[in-house]
Amino acid sequence: MLDTILYPLEWVVANVMVIWHWVWSAIGLDPAAGITWALSIVGLVITIRAALIPLFVKQINASRAMQVIAPDLKKIQDKYKGKKDQASREAMSRETMELYSKHKTNPFASCLPMLIQAPIFFALFRVLNYRLEGNASGSGSTEGIGMLTNEVAAQAQHAELFGASLSDSFFNSPGAAAKILSVVLIVAMVATTFLTQHQLTRKNLPASALEGPMAQQQKILMYALPFIFVISGPNFPIGVLIYWTTTNVWTFGQQWYVIRNNPTPGSEADRLHKERLAAKAAKRAAKRGEDPQAAVIEAAPEEESAQKRSGQRQQPKRKSRGGGKSQQLPVNDDKDLS
Amino acid sequence: MSIAARALGGAIRGYQLTVSPLTGPRCKFHPSCSHFALEAIQVHGAAVGSSLAAWRLLRCNPWSNGGVDDVPAKGERLFRLTRNNAAMLTEPTSAV
Repeated sequence: MLDTILYPLEWVVANVMVIWHWVWSAIGLDPAAGITWALSIVGLVITIRAALIPLFVKQINASRAMQVIAPDLKKIQDKYKGKKDQASREAMSRETMELYSKHKTNPFASCLPMLIQAPIFFALFRVLNYRLEGNASGSGSTEGIGMLTNEVAAQAQHAELFGASLSDSFFNSPGAAAKILSVVLIVAMVATTFLTQHQLTRKNLPASALEGPMAQQQKILMYALPFIFVISGPNFPIGVLIYWTTTNVWTFGQQWYVIRNNPTPGSEADRLHKERLAAKAAKRAAKRGEDPQAAVIEAAPEEESAQKRSGQRQQPKRKSRGGGKSQQLPVNDDKDLS
Repeated sequence: MSIAARALGGAIRGYQLTVSPLTGPRCKFHPSCSHFALEAIQVHGAAVGSSLAAWRLLRCNPWSNGGVDDVPAKGERLFRLTRNNAAMLTEPTSAV
């Protein structure tokens, strides 16, 4: 059953790897060398992530469109300001999501792409473990797949990267070379995962999201994750570790770009982003021969006062509206009763 | 609840507690896909609930607009193309 489901994916993974192997060989790398096959896996990551770039761009455009609905979003946030009980959180979340949907923009990446990447990872695991290694040891049903014929698979299996084969894992390898390489890659994998997490949580979350039990749990997990990898990593073939580390590096870079250019409002990254914009404005002013200090001062308080003004303007409305609406909404009725 | 429903529910809770906090919020809907799956399995049982959850995951793709989408009540139409958000009030917003 699993064979049938994963066969098409294994076929794609194997073919992409062989095509990249052909590309690397064409530009002069030794076809039988381990580094060529390791770079083929890097190529696989590039192919998959490049194919996902349109989705990434779509998400960025969606977060740009967020500026249009920012006033409405603020209204909702003001309405539920200081209400920390579950029912109000739920009602706020409902209203926010409905607002996004109504304006056909949604800052979230959606669940499906993440789920699609997992089978690809699993398919690579199977290609390395069964098609390469199984092929070499002659055990099980391990005939070639797509362009990864038995001969090519045998070449890949015997290709050595620092004396280790791509299908070797820490627990399943003959020499010390594979064990050392495996440890190095596990450390790299843990480091890149941790850095990506750290970047996301410390820089791109608003202050409100950094408090409370959920944030606490996130923090604990961030530090616990390396241990999980240290336990599971030694079972992974070196090729899978290369794939994972490369994909982490890509994710980190992509996330860095998003955080720099489209930070979450109210986060540390947002503050830095605004600072950079202000500095740029000052530089431009200096070029034009104006007083740079004036430009910065002009730019900064304008924003602040705009926020203050809108806050003051909404305050009287907020109270009467919040009370009136809570009786109309069935969701809020529950909250009032409880 | 059947054993299958309990096992699935446990797996989803496990995901919510360990994997989900690490990836940050990413679901376009409310309730989120995993909460939807939990509720769907509670209300409709393991088989129908899982299918409902799978259908929701397919709709949570880059081309969807998300929004409020509740688990259909028993007896209601199960698999629909439009969202099940009758509970939401429609209010005018300033940005059109």
